[in-house]
Amino acid sequence: MVVVRRRWFQTPWEFRESSLGAALIVVAGFILQYATSGQGVPPLHLPLNAVILVLFAVLTLGVGLGFRENRLVQWLGGIPLGLSLIVALALLSLIGGVIPQGEVAPGSLPALLGVNQIFSSWPFALTVLLFLVNLGLSLSWRLVPFSMKNIQFILFHAGFWIALSCGVFGSPDIQRLIMKVDEGGESNMAYSRESDSEQQLPFSVFLHDFSLEEYPPQLFLYDPRKNHALQELAKTTTLVHKGVKASWKGVAVEVLDFLPNALPGKNGIPEPADRTAGVAFAKVRITSTNAVPTYAWISSISPMMKPWAAPIGELLLVMAPGTPKAFRSDVTVRGESGQLVTATLEVNHPINVMGWKLYQMGYDDEAGRWSKYSLIEVIRDPWLPAVYLGFFMIMAGNVLFFWNGIKQKEVAS
Amino acid sequence: MIFDFNTAAKAAIGCWATGSLLSLFARRTPALKLPALMLSFAGSLVMVGFIASYWSLLDRPPLRTLGETRLWYAALIPLVGFLVEYRWKITWLKYYCMGLATFFLVINMLHPEVFDKTLMPALQSPWFIPHVVVYLVGYVMLAASSVTALHNVSLQLRAKGNVNGESVSHYLALLGFVLLSFGLIFGALWAKEAWGHYWTWDPKETWAFLSWLAYLGYLHACRYKIDRGKLQWYLALSFLVLLVCWFGVNYLPSARNSVHTYTQS
Repeated sequence: MVVVRRRWFQTPWEFRESSLGAALIVVAGFILQYATSGQGVPPLHLPLNAVILVLFAVLTLGVGLGFRENRLVQWLGGIPLGLSLIVALALLSLIGGVIPQGEVAPGSLPALLGVNQIFSSWPFALTVLLFLVNLGLSLSWRLVPFSMKNIQFILFHAGFWIALSCGVFGSPDIQRLIMKVDEGGESNMAYSRESDSEQQLPFSVFLHDFSLEEYPPQLFLYDPRKNHALQELAKTTTLVHKGVKASWKGVAVEVLDFLPNALPGKNGIPEPADRTAGVAFAKVRITSTNAVPTYAWISSISPMMKPWAAPIGELLLVMAPGTPKAFRSDVTVRGESGQLVTATLEVNHPINVMGWKLYQMGYDDEAGRWSKYSLIEVIRDPWLPAVYLGFFMIMAGNVLFFWNGIKQKEVAS
Repeated sequence: MIFDFNTAAKAAIGCWATGSLLSLFARRTPALKLPALMLSFAGSLVMVGFIASYWSLLDRPPLRTLGETRLWYAALIPLVGFLVEYRWKITWLKYYCMGLATFFLVINMLHPEVFDKTLMPALQSPWFIPHVVVYLVGYVMLAASSVTALHNVSLQLRAKGNVNGESVSHYLALLGFVLLSFGLIFGALWAKEAWGHYWTWDPKETWAFLSWLAYLGYLHACRYKIDRGKLQWYLALSFLVLLVCWFGVNYLPSARNSVHTYTQS
């Protein structure tokens, strides 16, 4: 085969020119980022961002269809540029995947170049924009004239275009706020993670009850001199129940009795109690090498009660409360015009109310299941339906891709 | 539990080893072919049985820790090898696959894990199993694709033509890409329900996006005039990005704030 060496910018432009184009757009982005003192892309809100996005889409389609024979337009919508931009996006994502995001001093070089906020920086924005142009042009040529043969291409590429563009253009419109509501109290104020200033919501939340379920407690050895818990014992067993055995450096611990909810009783023996007041108690036998076994009651902790611990040499055997299994808030949401919604919020089970989504977020960590308040995150994302439309189109395209791949294989074999 | 992990792992590895040996002998004695296949298959069945009993004992799917995901890979990767042999009459892939599965099980035997039933509330979701399983199967396909591509590279270096091998690595990559896409989107839909947003550039998400881009790039290069033979190196190495995404992320500086780091035990 005779290898014909291409000269630079010999038409049609291919990978060399495309790599250069992608590199230039990234460099231009970094220069812009530096020139604007690391400010990043200014946020555009509704309706301006939607208008710009629609104009951008119309322009891309118009240029793609009006100038489809133009060499430059063909290059802009071609696979070589697409591949180069995929590489550029991958390299920028690599920066974001390695360098911790969002924690450097303002004015430092990383901040001026935007590498600590790469996904809202100019280089990323410009690369995505050119990528959308590339994707949009290639899409326009498959859309017109329309053919069912192209349906897989259209679903995948249009889905990707919609999800990416709406995700990027719409991100300034996302509102994420946090509400702190006391049990038996009502609030319509929320604050954002970035600033402490409160703002008023178009609805209020009344918290009837906050409740938390825990896994069984865990055994730990605690070193009072160093004020930290040793993990070794917890590694041999995790959840405390009757009959559990654990050992650590010649010390054997066996749980002889376990009361999930109890309070100290007479003679130092705990008595079962109500869940709202009681804590977990365990009777343990501690056997050290060459020593007589000792017996002790240990307990976990609550705001009303200090834990009971058992000494093992210079260490203490303690029982830490179990990790949370589930926590939920029973709430009533009241809109400005008086409509009422009563629901239970739980992790993974948000509710939709008046265009907002309400999430169970947290509680008073120190009080654990005795927390008197609940933290609720309220989120509004007007662009979500468009992004989801894109997602479902990508999935549909993928199903066809899979199917066609199998069919081609059968033809090939 | 019916049997402990070490017994199950040793039984599976024993099955794969004797199955592989028998199938090497089967080249001369075709009568050994069926017992060889059945023994190799039994190795994976042992692992599937172990996962099922472990699941019911834990009261949660064993998909939470890195070690638990290795169990699944060990069970599934040999199955891909058998499937490829059945579909494309390519016999060598299954040896690599069983070798890889053995490697995963040996890691687990050297690093025994805590028997831990807890599952944090965010993981208690109907999305947990589809999200992780789709990724698991995708990774398995792409691991097999990468191994095939490496084999193709070695054949190329010895100047042997191998169109069939190239189409195997290609279709495995294609299947893997489809599954990665589903995993990514299932993850996004779940994240919206659990964390409030479908995409937060969490380091694991970033790396999942990167590995998706790597295979997106491969498919477009393939579609363009680039020779598939030349892309075998690329396919072989793309799996490294997936490995970073699977467990390498835990060791990166960016992982400090990740919601995705596997429980270390």
